[in-house]
Amino acid sequence: MVFSSILFLFRFFPAAMLIYFLTPKKLKNLAIFLLSLFFYSWGEPKYFPIMIASTLCDYFVSLGIETHRSNKKLCRLLLLISVLFNLGMLGFFKYTGFFLTNLNALLGTSIPLPNITLPIGISFYTFQTMSYTIDVYRGNVKAERNIVDFTAFVTLFPQLIAGPIVRYSDISRELKTRVVSLPQISDGVALFIMGLGKKVLIANNIGSLWTELSESMGFSALSTPLAWMGVAAYTLQIYFDFSGYSLMAIGMGKIMGFEFPQNFDFPYISKSFTEFWRRWHMTLGSWFREYLYFPLGGSRVKLPRLYFNLFVVWFCTGFWHGASWNFVLWGLYFLVFLILEKTFLLPHLQKSRVLSHIYVLFFLMISWSIFAVTDFGQLGILLQRMFGIGVAQSAAGNWIYYLRNYIVTFLIGILFSTPLPWKCYLKIKKYKAAELVILGVILVVSVAYLVDATYNPFLYFRF
Amino acid sequence: MNRLKELLKTPLIWCFALFILGYTAWDLVTPDKEKSDMENRYLQQKPTLTLKNLFAKGDNAYNQRYEKYINDQFVLRDDWITLKSRAETALGKIENNGIAYGEDGYLFEKVVSVDEENLQKNIQYVQEFLQMYPQQKTTLCIIPNAYTVLTDKLPAGFENITVNQRDWINRIYQSQWPSNLSALEITDALAEHSDEYIYYRTDHHWTTYGAYFAYRQYIESLGMTPVSWETIQSVKGGTVEDFYGTFYSKAKNADVQPDSITWYDIPCTVEINGEAVDSLHNVEQFSQRDKYAGLMRSNNALTVLYSQVNQNHQEGKTSRVLVVKDSYGNSMIPYLCYHFDEVYAIDLRYLATMSSVMGETDFDELLILYNFANFADDTNIPKLRY
Repeated sequence: MVFSSILFLFRFFPAAMLIYFLTPKKLKNLAIFLLSLFFYSWGEPKYFPIMIASTLCDYFVSLGIETHRSNKKLCRLLLLISVLFNLGMLGFFKYTGFFLTNLNALLGTSIPLPNITLPIGISFYTFQTMSYTIDVYRGNVKAERNIVDFTAFVTLFPQLIAGPIVRYSDISRELKTRVVSLPQISDGVALFIMGLGKKVLIANNIGSLWTELSESMGFSALSTPLAWMGVAAYTLQIYFDFSGYSLMAIGMGKIMGFEFPQNFDFPYISKSFTEFWRRWHMTLGSWFREYLYFPLGGSRVKLPRLYFNLFVVWFCTGFWHGASWNFVLWGLYFLVFLILEKTFLLPHLQKSRVLSHIYVLFFLMISWSIFAVTDFGQLGILLQRMFGIGVAQSAAGNWIYYLRNYIVTFLIGILFSTPLPWKCYLKIKKYKAAELVILGVILVVSVAYLVDATYNPFLYFRF
Repeated sequence: MNRLKELLKTPLIWCFALFILGYTAWDLVTPDKEKSDMENRYLQQKPTLTLKNLFAKGDNAYNQRYEKYINDQFVLRDDWITLKSRAETALGKIENNGIAYGEDGYLFEKVVSVDEENLQKNIQYVQEFLQMYPQQKTTLCIIPNAYTVLTDKLPAGFENITVNQRDWINRIYQSQWPSNLSALEITDALAEHSDEYIYYRTDHHWTTYGAYFAYRQYIESLGMTPVSWETIQSVKGGTVEDFYGTFYSKAKNADVQPDSITWYDIPCTVEINGEAVDSLHNVEQFSQRDKYAGLMRSNNALTVLYSQVNQNHQEGKTSRVLVVKDSYGNSMIPYLCYHFDEVYAIDLRYLATMSSVMGETDFDELLILYNFANFADDTNIPKLRY
C-alpha cells in the first residue's frame, strides 16, 4: 500500500489513526505493530515472516551481546551472525538474479534464474535492524528488552517501506514514553499534506513527461532540447517523489508522537557534490558513514587506503539502490567528483556563486540519466541525443509542444527545489486561516490527481 | 475546557481529521454503483475474500481488486476527475490524459508511436487473406486520424511530436501486395475539406460528412459515379446535438464545444447477424451518452444492408460489396447502397470466422476500411484467414 493512494488516505490511514489514538497508552506499541503488519501484508501477504525473522534475529542477538558483554569473542560472533543474516537476506532476495545473470554471462553457463520477488522495504529494514545491533555492540544504546517495543520500532509503518532510515537510537526514548502534543500533531498534519503535494502534484506531474519520452516516444526520437527536458523532468521527479514520500513519513511519525530524522535538505541548491550528499537522502548517507566508512578507518588513514575506503562506500551506495550495473556506475560516478573535490576543487566551488551551481546541476543531471536508464544501450542513445549526436531531422522541433505544455510545472518544480517557499510558509503559518487554505487546496487537488490516475474510460477507444 | 481551547488553537488538526474521517464515512455509506456513464464501463464491485484470491498474483489478487473497488466507487469520482482537468489547465497544460487541446474546440489524441511489429503482422495477415481468395477484387483504405488532416487546428508543435500518418499510410500501401489489391488514398481528398466539419471536435471519429469524401473516392476508383452530397442530404434523417465524444471523456476540458451528429436514413432494409431490424440507425441511442453508437447500430459481427436505391442496378444480377471495417466505417458504409444491391459489413472483433461469409456469398467488391491507429493496434485482423 502506498501513502499516495485513495486506499491509504481514505481507508487505512483514518482507521489506523482511530485505532491508534483510542488504544490505551500501554498497548499503543502493540497497536503499531499490528497495524504495520496489516499495512505490510496488504501488498505482500507472503513476505512478512521475513521481516519478522530479521526483527527476531536482531532482538535476540542484541540481548545476547548485552548479557555477555564481558565475553568479547562471543559478542563478536553474535554481531557477525546479525550482519551475515541481514546482508544474507538482502543478498538473496535482492541480488541473486543479478549475480546469476553475470555469472552466466561470464562463464557462458545457463544457470536458470530463480523467480524471486523483492520483499517490499527489505533494503530499509535490514539496514535498520543491523545498525541497531551494531549500536548495541558498540555500547551506544542499551538492548531493547521489550519485544513488542522492538518490533514496533522495526515495523513502524510510516517509515517501513521507503525510509527515512530511522535508527533505534533516534526514537528509543519515544518508544517508551511519547507525549502527544497538539502543536506536534498539527505540524505532522502539515508535513504530511506537503509531502503528499510534493509527490502527487509535482513529482507525478513532471514525471509524466519523462515517462512519455522514455516509454512512448523512445530515446532515439529525441531532439537535444527534448532530451535535456526529459532528464530535467526526471531530476525533479526523483527528488520530489522521494523527499515527498519521506516528508509524509515524517509527518505521520509526528502525528503518532515520533520525531524521525530529516531526510532531505534542499539538495539541488548545493554548490558541490560533497554538499549534495549531505543534503540528499541524509539518513542513508549517515548510515554508510557510521556503519561502513568509519569502521573501514574513515579518512584518518593513508591516502591509498582512503581511496579504497571511498571506493567501497560508493560502490555499496550505488549497489544498494538497485541490483544492476548502472547503479554501481552511478555510485562510482559520484566517487570521481568527490575525490576531485577533496583534492582541489572544493575551495574553488565554495567561492563561486554561479559556476558551482551549474557544475553541480549539469553533472547531476547526467548522473540521473545513468540512474534512470538500466540498459546501457539505451543510456548511450539518451546521452548521444543530449549532446546532439544522431538527432533525426524529423525530431528537430519536437521540444516546442512539450515546453509549452510543461513550462509552468518546470518552474514550480524549480521554485520548490529552493528553500524560498518553505521560508514563506514559516512566515504565513502564523495566520492560521491562510495555512488552512493553502494546505486544504494542496490536499484536495492531490486527491483529485490520485482519483484521475485511476481514471480509465473504456471508450471502445477508436472503435 | 482547556483541552478544547487548545484544540481550537490547532484548527489544522480537526479540519484534516474532519475531512478524512468525514469523507471516508460518506464513502462507506454511499451505495456502490454498477456502471459509469462517463467511463462507459462497469465498475469494480466489492470482491469477496477467499484463500485463493488472497495469495493470487496480478489483477485477480484480492488486494488489487479491493483497491480497484475503492477507486472505482469513490464518492464524487467524476467530479474529482473534472477538478483534476481544471487543475491541469490552471498549470498551463494544453492537454489532459493524453488528449491535446487544438484550435476552435478541436481535441486531438497524441499518437507518439506506432506498434510497428503489430502493424507489420496485420499487413501480413491481409496479404495471406488475399492469397487465399486470389479472385477477390479488393480495396484497402486507411483512414487517417483527425490530426493528420486538420493541420490548421493543431496546437503549436503538435505535428512534430506525433506520428506522421501520411508516411505510414504510404508505407502500408507500398507493401508487397498481391495483384488483386488496390490501395485507396483518401488523405488528400479529406485535406481539401479541412476547413469543413469532417471530423468531430470531441470524438476520434470522422463525421458522416467527412466519410462522404472517402465514399466518393472509393466509388470513383471502381469506375462508377458517386451521388452528390445534395442527394444524400435529401434523404430523411436528423441531427443530434450535444454529442460529447471519447476525447472529451478523457480530457473533460472546461471550454468544450459539443458536437452534432448528422445522420441519413439511406433507404434499405437491414439484417444484423441474420435477424431483421426495423431501421438502419438506432435512433434511441442518440439520446444516450455514447451517441456515435447509434450509427448503423454500432459494431456487429455481420450487418447486411439490402439497398432500395441502387443506381447501378442491373436486371437479373445482385451486386454485392463486403466491407471489413472498424467503427469509422459505420459513417460511410450506408452510402454504398447507392451502388450495390447488397452491402455486407463485417466487424472482425465480433465475427467468429471470415470464411463463413466468404464461402457462402460471392462479392463483386471487397473493401478493407480501417482507421490508421486501429489498423496498427488491432489484434483481430488474424481472423481474416479463418
